Amino acid sequence: MGKKRVGALEKVDADLPNLQYKIRRDPKSYSEDFLNQYGQYQSQRDIFLASPTTASSTGIVSFRDLIDFVAHVADCFPEDTASFPTDLKTILMLHHASLESELREKIVGSLVLLRRKEIIDSAELLNTLFPILVATPSKTLRTLLFQKILSDLRTSNSKSVNHRLNKTIQTALFNLLTSDRASAKGIWAVKITRELWKRQIWTDAKAVEIMKEAALADNEKVIGGGVRFFLGGDKEREELEDDSSDEEAGIDIGKLKHQAGINKKSRKTKKSLEEAVKKVKKTEKKKNQPHPLNFSALHLLHDPQGFAETLFSKHLQNSKSKLNLEQKLLVLQLVSRLVGLHKLTVISLYSYFIKYLTPRQPSVTTFLACLAQATHSLVPPDALEPLVQKIANEFVSEASASEVASAGLNAIREICVRQPLAMNDTLLQDLVMYRKSKDKGTMMAAKGLLSLYREVGADLLKKRDRGKTATIGLKSGSIKERRFGEEEIGGIEGLELLEEWKAEERKRKRAEKGLPELGTDEEDDEEDEEEENKGWENWDAESDASSDSGGWINVESDAEIEISDSEDEKPASKKAKLDSLATKSTSDTPANDEEKENVDKDKALEHKISSLATTKILTPADLAKLQELRLQASVTKTMGKNKSQAARLKELADRHADDPLTAEQIEGLSKLRKSTREEKIALAREGKGERGEHKSTQALRRQKKDAEGKSTTNREKSRKKNFMMTLGKAKFKQKRSLTQTRRVLKGHIERSKRGGKRGNIGM
Amino acid sequence: MGSSTRKKKEKKKDFQKAKLKVGKAKAKPDNFTDTSFKAKSIVVNQQSLTTSAPSSSTQFAHYLSLASSSRSDTQRRDALSYLTTQLSSAPVDRPLPLPTSILLPKLLPLILDGSSSVRAQLQKFLRLLPASDIGDRAEFALLYIRAGMTHLAAEIRVDALAVLEWLLEVAQEDVVSCPGGWVKTLKSFMSMMGWASSSGSSKWSSASKASFGKAGKTFPRQLLVLTQFLKAGLIESENIREVKIGGTFPLVDVERHMIPMRSNAFAHLNLFGSSRDEEGEMYIDREDRQRVFQKLFQPAVEVGMANAKKEGGEAGRASAVLAKVLKEGMADYIEVDDTQ
Repeated sequence: MGKKRVGALEKVDADLPNLQYKIRRDPKSYSEDFLNQYGQYQSQRDIFLASPTTASSTGIVSFRDLIDFVAHVADCFPEDTASFPTDLKTILMLHHASLESELREKIVGSLVLLRRKEIIDSAELLNTLFPILVATPSKTLRTLLFQKILSDLRTSNSKSVNHRLNKTIQTALFNLLTSDRASAKGIWAVKITRELWKRQIWTDAKAVEIMKEAALADNEKVIGGGVRFFLGGDKEREELEDDSSDEEAGIDIGKLKHQAGINKKSRKTKKSLEEAVKKVKKTEKKKNQPHPLNFSALHLLHDPQGFAETLFSKHLQNSKSKLNLEQKLLVLQLVSRLVGLHKLTVISLYSYFIKYLTPRQPSVTTFLACLAQATHSLVPPDALEPLVQKIANEFVSEASASEVASAGLNAIREICVRQPLAMNDTLLQDLVMYRKSKDKGTMMAAKGLLSLYREVGADLLKKRDRGKTATIGLKSGSIKERRFGEEEIGGIEGLELLEEWKAEERKRKRAEKGLPELGTDEEDDEEDEEEENKGWENWDAESDASSDSGGWINVESDAEIEISDSEDEKPASKKAKLDSLATKSTSDTPANDEEKENVDKDKALEHKISSLATTKILTPADLAKLQELRLQASVTKTMGKNKSQAARLKELADRHADDPLTAEQIEGLSKLRKSTREEKIALAREGKGERGEHKSTQALRRQKKDAEGKSTTNREKSRKKNFMMTLGKAKFKQKRSLTQTRRVLKGHIERSKRGGKRGNIGM
Repeated sequence: MGSSTRKKKEKKKDFQKAKLKVGKAKAKPDNFTDTSFKAKSIVVNQQSLTTSAPSSSTQFAHYLSLASSSRSDTQRRDALSYLTTQLSSAPVDRPLPLPTSILLPKLLPLILDGSSSVRAQLQKFLRLLPASDIGDRAEFALLYIRAGMTHLAAEIRVDALAVLEWLLEVAQEDVVSCPGGWVKTLKSFMSMMGWASSSGSSKWSSASKASFGKAGKTFPRQLLVLTQFLKAGLIESENIREVKIGGTFPLVDVERHMIPMRSNAFAHLNLFGSSRDEEGEMYIDREDRQRVFQKLFQPAVEVGMANAKKEGGEAGRASAVLAKVLKEGMADYIEVDDTQ
């Protein structure tokens, strides 16, 4: 379908954009013109519908242009164009496979335009586009539709969350996945959900449920999509958020103001400055807002036990499953992650590992990492012991390569961090001997194992390996063997820090007032009350001011599941920040009361439960301070200040809670596989500064100045000046006065003495 | 001044004349761009290398495809004129080289063609087609005619009217009774003549700035074609009336009990298509057409007609003819309405 030549006269007649412009300005006057065009559209449509495949838009004005035109002005004539959206929809639905691609794109675009003009609503649009997305054989159309669907969902959720729309679309996606589990069409559900999850538009349990169904599908692609989402979806989301916050931070208001002062003052610069100020204010406001509650996908699962079991039995245990090793590994990672995170019991999982634990197995470190990840304190040691034994036998021996041995030792250590009871004394003593190995990786791995058991099970070690503190602890009875299923007594993280801080504050205040440092209890109580009131006051004011615009974010019903987990001994997730903490502090209180007696008895324990939480209700101000102190503590910890062994151990255990264990961590220092080209390049690049081009220092300096928007110096200007422009000045030579001539001559003599303009450096 | 002499020399070099030598190729200019290229495939310009000339029927098909899909308008026009001469020079009793059912779908889109010479040639060609074949394809032809009547370009509108005139001559009954043929075509007329009113418009009258409807010269012609169309639809044609009157006494309505002469006799039942709305419906009976016309169009037509009468001149005369037809056509409708 080539464009026919258009005569000049006809061009004027067929000027649809011009007519469109006129109609938009004054719809009433041009209604007749519009009706004519609409009639033309209708007759073209009839022609098209009479023979969709053969009808070609010959002539000056194509059907495509007419559709575009009508879509653009449809909002001016709502009654006349009432049937227009349905027309487009039927054309698209019935003939999308045979339509010419440009016309098809135009129809899709027009439908989206109608949606933007709010002639049709989102649900209608999405219900039209989605079935076509799934059904069409054309790749370009699919990408177009995918993009349009996503952007429409984003815009309709931009101002406020459109629950109804989300729910209908989610149900459609869910049905798509569950109706035919073997088809590859489900990949679209996965893609859409993942994208929206990444952009934090869908953050509820329903989206997670969709992905769960995807992971349990029969099609490899769909399974892969679902599983990858659980393994990496949250990280993706965080990265996107980081990126967006980085972008906005780049404005320097001071500089902009300075520039606006120097340069020519125009309306444009003023406007841009205002805009920048607005933007900065907005970002600051955003920064001050509390972190929105976003639970990770793994935490939003309704039935992790059932999910893990079906995943395992369907994709891994089932001998008929068609997944290749890579896909199986992904599924295994997810299963082990679920087991470790939710402390699930899938006993058959551990015996499944046995056959893969040989050094010849491809990507064995991932298997080892998965095994370690699947271990937690509630796994029966009987299930783990043969595995540890097998790793020791297969990997750790004098004959095996050093990398293999270190990987084996690392794996054993990671397992034992999570379940120390999986080890027996002979094996441990045997393994610990490797700390004398000549290979650094093996040596360090063995030492790690040794230091681990000094903390958690010193009695398994030989006497001379136990170390001083462990020996003393064993003797005095402060170190006790942990039994299977025994749990640590929990509290609020960093509460002791808060208590300390409060005591110090009190001291400082008393010192200011000139009272002795230690006051009577009554005084203390009074002060406390005052303080507390202040804390609440503050909070009340805050809550009043920010009741509508954030501050505290309404938690949806889905999220409550997460919070009610607080009976668990550990904080469920770091992401559940302030809110969950507040509820926890109240809900923990009675529990802690009972525990207190135990604590009194057992004073040898290092971390005693602070009495603060049991005697007082923490005010929001307290909680904020607690958060701050906790942050501070973590900062000092990362700086490496007095990092105790125990703290390091705890860090190891904590890492497990939220982040996956990777094969790299198992490999340790040495690498079992060849490094890829990218890694090699990165290694070579390391330590070398960024230098895009090879330029002179002068040029680089100039470039930097230019980038900062700074002007050139006079010297540079004179150097760059056009030669012809300097000629006029040279002619001036004849007309110089005597003094001027003298000055020039003097300068000449001086320069010749100095040896040139810049001085003779050689002298 | 060493550098300046060098520069002078360089400048001179630009204007030095290259010496031509016998037996040597001319030196390439500085800005010469090599446009030669290599290709893996070879395109043969002449695809068929038969010694015998192509038969007239294949040539006919070839020109038909040229006429329908060539890019250049002269080529289309020439192809059409070839087809026309082929048809006109053939003996009367010989059948067409290709059946009308193939010719029409290919050529009807040319009603909307941008070039006026092509359209003129098309009209010549259409008049050569056998009238009996057209009736069944009136609906299809009307699609393009309506598109032409509402087209942006004024010339195309005029030519579409000419085609409609031809169609009315050839298949008068089919035009007004095919699906969509009555109401949709009338609507096209209304919008073409600027008599249409927006369904959602308010009571305010506003001077139209439209550049569309007021094509001064063509207006009388539009009126005349509308008159013909209404005549076809509203006034019973002679032969039907004859049949009605001339039935021999004992046999009444005998043709209604015979096997129908036309194709798809039950089309009005619309057994297999998608359901039609008021516009797309078939109006087979004259009474039906009258009713719809009276409901939807009569007021607009009468207002427009009155205005045209005031203009006088050619338009006035045409509108007088229209008024006559309208009176005749709607005369017995009121009667029917009263009797009901």
